[in-house]
Amino acid sequence: MSSTTNYILGVYDDEDEVLHAVSEVKSKGIKIEDVFTPFPIHGLDRAVGHERTRLPIAAFMFGVLGLTCALSLISYTMVFDWPMIIGGKDFFALPNWIPVTFEGTVLFTAFGLVITFCISNNLYPGNQPDLLDLRITDDKFVMAINVDKNKKVSADDIKKALKDSGAIEVNVK
Amino acid sequence: MSHVVSPIREKLVTGGKSYSDVTHDICKQVEGEPTKEWKWAFGISSIVFIYGAYCLFYTWWQGIGVWGLNKTVGWAWDITNFVWWVGIGHAGTLISAVLLLFRQKWRTSINRSAEAMTIFAVLCAASFILAHMGRPWLAHWALPLPNAFGSLWVNFNSPLVWDVFAISTYLSVSLLFWYMGLVPDLASIRDRATTKGRKFWYGLFSLGWTGSSKTWARYEYMSLILAGISTPLVLSVHTIVSMDFATSVIPGWHTTIFPPYFVAGAIFSGFAMVQTLLLITRVVFKLEDYITIEHIEMMNIVITVTGSVVGIAYLTEFFIAWYSGVEYESYAFINRATGPYWWAYWMMMTCNVISPQLFWSKAIRTNLMVSFFLSIVVNVGMWFERFVIIVTSLHRDYLPSSWAMFSPTMYDIGDYIFSFGLFFTLFFLFAKYLPVVNMAEVKSVMKGVSSNFPEKKKATKKTEE
Amino acid sequence: MAGHSHFSPANVEEHFEFTSEGKKRVIYAFIAGVVALVLGIYLLSKGEAGGHEVANAGHEAVKAGHEAASEHLSGGAVSHQPAAEEHYDWTNRIWANVWLNAVFFTGIAIIGMFFVSLQYLTKSGWSSVMKRVPEAFPKFLYITLPILLLVFFFKGDAIFHWMHHGVTEVGNENYDKIIAGKSGYLNKTFFLVRLVGFFALWIGLWTVLRKKSLEEDLIGGTDLFTQLVRISTAFIVVFGASSSMFAWDWVMSIDTHWFSTMFGWYMFSSWHVTGLAVITLTILLLKDKGYMAYVNENHLHDLGKLMFAFSIFWTYVWFEQFLLIYYANMPEEIIYFLERWEGHNKIYKTSEILMVFLNFFFPFLVLMTRDAKRTRIFLKIAAFFIIVGHYIDFYQMIMPGVLGGHAGYGLVEFGMVTVFASAFIYIVSDELTKASLIAKNHPFLPEAVHHDI
Repeated sequence: MSSTTNYILGVYDDEDEVLHAVSEVKSKGIKIEDVFTPFPIHGLDRAVGHERTRLPIAAFMFGVLGLTCALSLISYTMVFDWPMIIGGKDFFALPNWIPVTFEGTVLFTAFGLVITFCISNNLYPGNQPDLLDLRITDDKFVMAINVDKNKKVSADDIKKALKDSGAIEVNVK
Repeated sequence: MSHVVSPIREKLVTGGKSYSDVTHDICKQVEGEPTKEWKWAFGISSIVFIYGAYCLFYTWWQGIGVWGLNKTVGWAWDITNFVWWVGIGHAGTLISAVLLLFRQKWRTSINRSAEAMTIFAVLCAASFILAHMGRPWLAHWALPLPNAFGSLWVNFNSPLVWDVFAISTYLSVSLLFWYMGLVPDLASIRDRATTKGRKFWYGLFSLGWTGSSKTWARYEYMSLILAGISTPLVLSVHTIVSMDFATSVIPGWHTTIFPPYFVAGAIFSGFAMVQTLLLITRVVFKLEDYITIEHIEMMNIVITVTGSVVGIAYLTEFFIAWYSGVEYESYAFINRATGPYWWAYWMMMTCNVISPQLFWSKAIRTNLMVSFFLSIVVNVGMWFERFVIIVTSLHRDYLPSSWAMFSPTMYDIGDYIFSFGLFFTLFFLFAKYLPVVNMAEVKSVMKGVSSNFPEKKKATKKTEE
Repeated sequence: MAGHSHFSPANVEEHFEFTSEGKKRVIYAFIAGVVALVLGIYLLSKGEAGGHEVANAGHEAVKAGHEAASEHLSGGAVSHQPAAEEHYDWTNRIWANVWLNAVFFTGIAIIGMFFVSLQYLTKSGWSSVMKRVPEAFPKFLYITLPILLLVFFFKGDAIFHWMHHGVTEVGNENYDKIIAGKSGYLNKTFFLVRLVGFFALWIGLWTVLRKKSLEEDLIGGTDLFTQLVRISTAFIVVFGASSSMFAWDWVMSIDTHWFSTMFGWYMFSSWHVTGLAVITLTILLLKDKGYMAYVNENHLHDLGKLMFAFSIFWTYVWFEQFLLIYYANMPEEIIYFLERWEGHNKIYKTSEILMVFLNFFFPFLVLMTRDAKRTRIFLKIAAFFIIVGHYIDFYQMIMPGVLGGHAGYGLVEFGMVTVFASAFIYIVSDELTKASLIAKNHPFLPEAVHHDI
């Protein structure tokens, strides 16, 4: 969100109102950039029109990777590199390896998932975002409309649409 | 989640709070100067920590011979304390993960501090593993690194190695889960910051959070998946801890019910510890509107249920020891109840099985003082449970000439004190510098569960129209 | 949300009609089952059971077990005398099948009660819209109780090693010291007291719960709800306390020498996930007929999650019981798995592998994604195979101890399952007609109707 972009912001103070407002504003042919909220609102991402995230697929892939790594390491060390008879079991004592394999799978899934999440949302330590409104993390719900991407609708119409949909303030940034 | 909530449900947030009130009430103690009570509490726990650290240092300097172990009882307080702390360290992830999956809204007010407690408890448990090692500077030998003596690897068939993986995975994943839960709240503090230092530090750790709906949607998915994998993880941890004992062939240790029964015991003691800490926190930080009697009651119900499950497991073990017809098993259990350590056994039975049954009475489970007292009783009982399992199973060797008793030395006790010092020092630091209640989550469920939720503005606007 | 605002309790009432067409179909299935069963029995009597029976399984069957087991090593608790080994009678296979199905379907029936009670106890809102379905299941206990009793009275010794003549009698040629040691618990009277006692408590509590639940439809209000919570709590306590005991009695004591503290919770987990699968399948079939419109994909998603989670839970319990026994490798314990893995000419090995596949890998992979849990056909497939998988699980628990090397999958097995399943469908359908499919005055119903995840 560089400062050169021109935004019109509708500020709301209720989660249900903002959810209705999204479809109302959209129905007037206005493209919404994003909505910023203090907490997750169920169905808001669908209303705004974001695609469903593919994070679960990433998590699954990391899980498979973790499983493979853990099993490979264990079988390499226990069967090929330095086989030892433990408790009278075969070298390839699969049941005994399930616990560590499971932990490895979980570890890879969790870290892979969170790292993917951070990268895909541009979250990293030291990131200082250009915040549209400081009250977003407190109690206000802010709908951001990029004027440059809404050439067909005049700025005044956008402001009016926001006001009509229940915004308590309309700001320009 | 829809806001349609049946009117017969108890309210989870009281006092007619608005979203902004939530932010203010929770951030207050992070932003304010440390209170006198906090300074005292922190000071005392630091002193305990320093004394304990001395004991631990001495243990390492001299070797673990300073403990009261003998040839027969070669494992006693060290592993008892380890299991006890790991058990306590189960509630946080359970509250945030399992209760999230079960959509229990009451979890939102307590998950943050429960998770923090979890992490600190697991650190305490880990300190006993290090204490065990005698030579903690060689701790990395427990990891699968090819070492200096050729490519000799750790033994992946050993439950102790499973434990290393389970504890380290659990610690790191819990930390991750907890931290990701903190990010939106850290952003709240960042955006309210009035000093440069606070803006910098909370800004650094909030990773540039903006609260966009796209991020939130992904964030919810991430939380659900983390919860989904943390649930089997939390079960696996105590399962693997129990396998340290149950894979062996020691009478009293080798029994197949150990894993789920240890897990139930862990939830039991973990909830009791959360209860103890929350009952203090809610008063000290004036959070009575967020951690209500309803929360306390829910926790007490969980304590009763898990306590009863543990009780059934005790009886099952006892019964099957007789039913199996294996005389060593039968002896081990009869010796627990009537042998020289009978007092430990009955302490465990009273504290763990009988005392939680008092919570069947609504008057008792909603009484703060009794809840506080019983939450401590439960953890005393759970400590004795581990002591009973470990010491009474070992102290009667197969050879009667080797029969022995165990008595702790001041270093056994000192190392235990160390863990308390560590735990409370970390907990007080957390309580001062981080929001103790998950603000974003509380706000997200407030409609419907909050009494006198302020909706005036909306109403007036409607009349205008 | 606005779309649902016209919701009011009055317009949700709907009655299931068990049409004569439907009845006919269930009865035909029952008759087909009986025919298969009779044919199977006829073949059995001729010594051609069909299926995978290995003819000469006989005495060498548990050879591996015998070798591993040696009495002086283990304080004398070695199991090496599966009931079937001597005096094998071909009719035993019929009784083993009756017992297997009676226990399996008792489980499904009582899990209906367990599910409803748990929802009350945890004050769950989402499930209130479908609670009438599991609530009808326990009716089938009226069928399984007499069957269990009759088999126990007349053919108990075919099933339970501890009921063999003279096993507890000192000096008798069948005398078995270990079994004699257990006779304080495993004896006919005490066994019967427990069996009848558990059923009496279950049926009693269910009858009260059902009555109050139907009253709620007429009266409404929160008083009845509070009472229902109390009854549910009582049931959970009773069920929790008895959960290990009935598993020891009805299943674990078949392998009389063998013991595992875990067994009760293991059998419960198998029952539980089967029950969930049957609930899901019933709801889906009702929806196919146009009933239960208020149960939408959100509720199905939750049922899918439960089947997924409890399949994993079953795996956890099964695996850790196995792992501990495998790891310690004590003769008196490991024989149980040796018998199922390499004993009896390996006739149980395929089932064992198939069972783990159907009960873990299959639901795990099929139900992992969100879309699968919200799609009816995936849920149906998963639920169906979970039920089949857990039937095999019970087969593995019961058959080796009763029949040893003489077990197999043939017409008898197929016929018996069909008979029990069609009876179950008939009884439950009939019970479903007795009340509205939606408990219209349930205080959490508005929550359930607006359920959105």
